[in-house]
Parts: sequence; C-alpha cells; structure tokens
Amino acid sequence: MKRMFGNKRSIWQDKRAIILFIAPAFLLFTGILFVPILQVFYYSFTEYNALTKPKFVGLANYLELFRGDRTMRIALKNSMFFMVFSAVSQQLIGLALAVALSSVKRGKNFFKNVYFMPYVLSSAALGLLWAFLFNPRMGINQILAYFGVEGPMWLSSTSGIIVLPMWVIAFVSLWQYMGSTMMLYMAQISGISRDLFEAAKMDGASGLQVFRHMTLPLIKPMMVTTLSLNCIGSLKFFDLVYNMTQGGPNYNTEVLATHLYTQGFQYFKYGYASAISVVLLGMCLLVSLLINRGIKVQVYEC
Amino acid sequence: MKKKSVAMLLLLAMLASMLSACGLFDGMGETTTGAGDKKDGEVTEITWMFWDDLEATEDLITKGYKQVVDRFNEDYEGTYHCNVVTTNLEEYDTKLNALIAAKKTPDVFICNPGPNLTQYVEAGVAADLTEILTEQEKDWYEGFSGGIFEKVTYDGKIMAVPTNFAAACVFYNTEMFEAAGAEVPETYEELLEACEAIQAAGYTPISCSAGTAWCLSMVAGYLCDRVGGPDNLAKIANHEMEWTDPSFIKAGGLLAELSKYFQPTAAGDSNDQATAAFYNGEAAMLIQGSWVIGQINGNNPEFEEKCGVFQFPAVEGGADPNRMIVKTDNLVMSATTENQDAVIALMKYFTDEEAQKYTAEVGGKIPVIDDVKINYEVAPMQLSYVQEILANMSGTLGFYNESLDSVEAGDTFDNAMVDIFLGNATPEDAFQRVQEFYEKNVWK
Repeated sequence: MKRMFGNKRSIWQDKRAIILFIAPAFLLFTGILFVPILQVFYYSFTEYNALTKPKFVGLANYLELFRGDRTMRIALKNSMFFMVFSAVSQQLIGLALAVALSSVKRGKNFFKNVYFMPYVLSSAALGLLWAFLFNPRMGINQILAYFGVEGPMWLSSTSGIIVLPMWVIAFVSLWQYMGSTMMLYMAQISGISRDLFEAAKMDGASGLQVFRHMTLPLIKPMMVTTLSLNCIGSLKFFDLVYNMTQGGPNYNTEVLATHLYTQGFQYFKYGYASAISVVLLGMCLLVSLLINRGIKVQVYEC
Repeated sequence: MKKKSVAMLLLLAMLASMLSACGLFDGMGETTTGAGDKKDGEVTEITWMFWDDLEATEDLITKGYKQVVDRFNEDYEGTYHCNVVTTNLEEYDTKLNALIAAKKTPDVFICNPGPNLTQYVEAGVAADLTEILTEQEKDWYEGFSGGIFEKVTYDGKIMAVPTNFAAACVFYNTEMFEAAGAEVPETYEELLEACEAIQAAGYTPISCSAGTAWCLSMVAGYLCDRVGGPDNLAKIANHEMEWTDPSFIKAGGLLAELSKYFQPTAAGDSNDQATAAFYNGEAAMLIQGSWVIGQINGNNPEFEEKCGVFQFPAVEGGADPNRMIVKTDNLVMSATTENQDAVIALMKYFTDEEAQKYTAEVGGKIPVIDDVKINYEVAPMQLSYVQEILANMSGTLGFYNESLDSVEAGDTFDNAMVDIFLGNATPEDAFQRVQEFYEKNVWK
C-alpha cells in the first residue's frame, strides 16, 4: 500500500495524465453543453433570427412569455399534466410490472422483452404508427365503426381542460417508456440478496408484507432515479407530440418543447425560443432538486 | 510504459467517438458536397430543395419537376449536377429554416409567395435576381407572362422566379350533383342550397381539411374577400381597418355555417386525405387551388371526366365575386450560393417551353411564359374550365395567410379560423385574437 501511494509516479501526481484523461470529456462537455447553455442564456435576452446580429431587448422575452403568450400557458399546462401523469403512471405500472416479473418463474425474459420493446424503437416511427392508429379514416375508429360505435376524434378533439389528444399522447408515451422504468426497478430488485427474502419467508411474512416492508424500502434509491428520469423526460418531451399532432389543433396540444421548436424554427424567433428553453431548463433543475430532497434515501446493507 | 499506452489508447477511443459524433451532425444536413472546393473538370453540384418526394409521388406537377431535374442532369452531365433534397409539405418550412440557420442553405429552393418569401428576403437569404434577369438574361426574362413577377418583387427587386401558377376554385363531382339534383351555385345562398340537396341525397357535400389549417383558411379567405373585399388586405396592412370589422365577423359566421356541410372527420383530416375523399367519390365538392388537378388526375385518372369546376360563389350584398385567389410556385436562389451559373441554368429548365407545356398539359397548372402552345385536347379537362373562369377574372388576391404580415400572423389567422370551425370560439372572439396579435406585433 505504502509503496503504491508513495510512488512519485502515481497517476494522481502525473499532471500530464490527469490532463490527458480529463481533457476529452472536458472539451466535449464544454463545447457541446456548457457553452451552448451559456449562449442560450444570452440569446434569451435578445431578439435574434440567426441571420442578422442579435439585438439586446432585456427581459422583454420573459415578460411576453409569462404575460402575453397564450400558447405558453397551454404549453405549461400540458407539460405539467404530462409530467404528473407520466410520473404517477410510470411509477405504478413500472414498479408493478417489475415486481410481478421478478417473481415469475417462466417466460420472464420473454415478457421483459415485450414490455421493453417499444422503448427500443424510434419515437418518430412510433409517433407515426400511433397517429395512423388514431386517424379517423383508418385504425381504431374504423374498428369501432364496425361495431356501430362512433369513435371520438382522438387527435383533434379540443374540449376539456386537458384535451383528449393530450391523454392519447400521454398514454402512448406510457406505453413506450414503462419498459425502461420496469427494467431499472428489476435491476434493483435483483440486487437484493435472496437470503433476505428467504429469511422473511421463514419468519412467516406474507407476499404483501415482504413487498411493503422489504422490497419497497430497499428499492427507494431507484425510485429517485426513475422519478427524476420520468419527470425530466416528460418536461422535455417532444417527439411523440410533434409526430402525432404538431401541437395542433390550434395550439391545444402544444408542450414546452414544441412551442420552443415552433417559435425558433418556424418563426425564426431564436431569442424568444431561447427564453422558453431557459424556463424549461429551470423547471427541470427544480424538479430534480425537489425529487432528490423530497425522497429520503437510506442505504441499507444487504 | 504500459500505463501510458493504455492511456493513449483510451484517449484515441474518446477522440474517435467525438469525431464520429460530429460526423453524425454533418450527415443531418444532406446538402451540397464539395460546393466550394471545385477544380477544373469537376462537376459543379447544386442542391435544390423541394416539398414533395420526387420518386414516391403521384402528383403530376412533382413528376414534371422530376423530369426537369433529370433533363438538366442529363444535358449538363459532366458540368453541373443537381441534387434534390425533399421533405413532405408539412415539414418543408421547418427543415428549410433549420438548414438556413445552420448556414447550409440549399443553392435553390421552392418557396411560397407572401411572408414566407418576405422573411427570406428580409433575412438576406434570397439572392436579388433583378440584374441577372433584366440585363444578363434578357431573352429569358422577356419570355415570362406580364405581371408574373409582381408578388415576388420587393422594392423593385425581383427575388424569385415563378415556375407555374394556380387559381383556387371549387371542384365538384358532376355525377353527385346530378344525382342530387343540385345546380352549380353562383351565390353563397345557392351554395348552401346545393349542400342541402347533396346531403339529402346521402352524400357529404364538401370535403375540407382543418387538420391542415391553410385548407380551411383558404375558404375563410375567399369568404372574407367576397364579403368585404377587395381592399381588405391592404387596409389591414396599413391599419385602416380592424380585424373586428363587421365584414370579417360576417365572413366568420358564414364559415361556421358552411362548415356544417364538411365531412365528419374534417377536423382531423390532412390536406391529402380531404383531397382523396373528393377524388374517391366520398364528397361532392372540394375548394382547392388548381394544383390539385395534377393530384386528382394522378391518383384517380377516371375521375377527370366527372370533375367540374366553378368559381367561388358571390356573397349577396358583398364585394366583387370575380376575384380569384392565385398563387405561384417560386424558385429562390440562395444569396450565398457559389454556383450562380448552375442555379440559373436549372431555373431556365424549369421555365423552358418543354417544362411549361408539361405544366399545363399534364399538370393542369397555368404556365408562366407566354410562348407556349397548349394543346387543350390532351390537357386535363379541368384546366380549360379554370382558364374559362380566369377569362372573367377581375382581380387577384393571395392566400389570406400568405398575405399577412408574417408567417406567424398567417398562422394566427389560420388557427383563428380553425377555432371558428371547431366551435371553440365565436367569430367575434376568433377575430379578436387576430386583432390582438396585430395590435401587439404589427401595428405597434
């Protein structure tokens, strides 16, 4: 031991090695992450169309965003809905599937693959697939019509506080992403020592008791991870919305990311779009902070 | 020593992954390759961006464009080569804007007139073609029909070259009209009567897409013009008129009334689906630009015989009913292209007699050059109906959404019309929203 740390040529003292190892990651992160984020902060205070020089406008973008922008209100509402819906549904269904599959003896891998499959496929393709399924002229409504039921306008109805297309998209995203939550939970469950379960069984604990008093506390660290992933993922959500409704009809299914996209890439308002992305970044940071603070994690020796 | 080589190896691996990541981004643009570093004897490659797939399409105009590009590449083999980047129509603007923002503007691209073109002109993306047209290529310029450059001229500078033009009319299924005993309407009231009769006969009267907002907005634009025209748009631009003007509100009411006769899935149908519903005989009328002739005849050639055309009806007590919504397809040259000569050569191919003859005789759109002899025997029957209507035309207007201040203003108008259609807003509320947009962004 002494020799290893006492060695003058230890890697911790070799500055060249330190620089060599850190530089690639550091450069990469600086170049494609930190610098652009700082740029976005700057652009959010400007009027900028990417073709002429940015014009500094102070807080005007933010004021407009929160005071005048009707679409922003819809987008905020939809994004919040989306986050709550995914967080709750993913946690419940993902955990339930993980627990159920962990105790299944046969066909475990088969079902694991079945549930995980949508996660592997491209969102763009899935968005199109579901858009066709919910299209009034093909798919589900045609089947319903066969039974004499007139199906709703899945992707173009606009009534209610949360419009039907949002529920539809939320459902599709649940279907797509529950597999990943399930996998993460399964990994954590399989990490729990078998001895513990056996000991509990010998002490006469019922299946429910085992779940409630052993599995649940032991997988809590994973809850923080999955919940953060769910929430941030759904705040940033873009692809299914864009592929299924493009934020329409009449902005009713706009979420923060699609609003940002329209403002930036459709209307050339990059300054304004940057302001939206700053708000989005703030929300993501806030949510992950709340989750990490809110859930007390104890690490058990097991 | 061993440690060091491992470290080097890891470093190399990281660098490689970085480079491949960059390569990924490069691949996304799909634009010109080696445009700048041209050597003698090398082929000059240019990129043309277009809003339909040249290979997979059934649209006859698009097929004509494909022929033009093929002809160009063949004739100029070894000198010029045109690569085509295509998207579908809905994503075109987005993708083009992204390429422009990434400084990978295609050398030449198709563009709608109005704010769409305006934004590229104002941003300095579009090249000024005035000098090329009026001096260097005089013969070419003089071959164009009079007034065709009007909507693509900014402060006396010509910013685009039109390739064809189309007028919006009402296409109708003559068999259904006959079966329902409906007459070709000349007024809005008669249009409603025809709709009633067709509905009573068990057909869907009108096929329209509100899923693709501009389709609905075009109907709204016609109604606005028929009720309050012809100076509405100019007055709005100069703020001599409010969006809450009674004539707009009335037009909104008529739109709500007329939309009761749309197919039940209109809210969700895309433009293509609504058009297909018409040429597949599911609905009796389709209000569309005459570019749809190519689409109809390309997809269902048998429909040509039963397809009639009439002009959008008059509103009693309203304005001049002989005004038509017209629109050109335009080619814009990038201001930053390094291959002007190749681009001009390509543009000439789009407007030469062969291409223009095809435009009319096969595509059913109206040529932009005077010197082209159309054989109406072989041209789509609808084209001659459209030409007949055009003969009585007293004036033109652009699409409403393309005649407003910005792309966003056009979208605001479109969405307000969708709101009226969906019943989410009264005409008063919907136009109030457009009014607010103008107060905040345009009339400052």
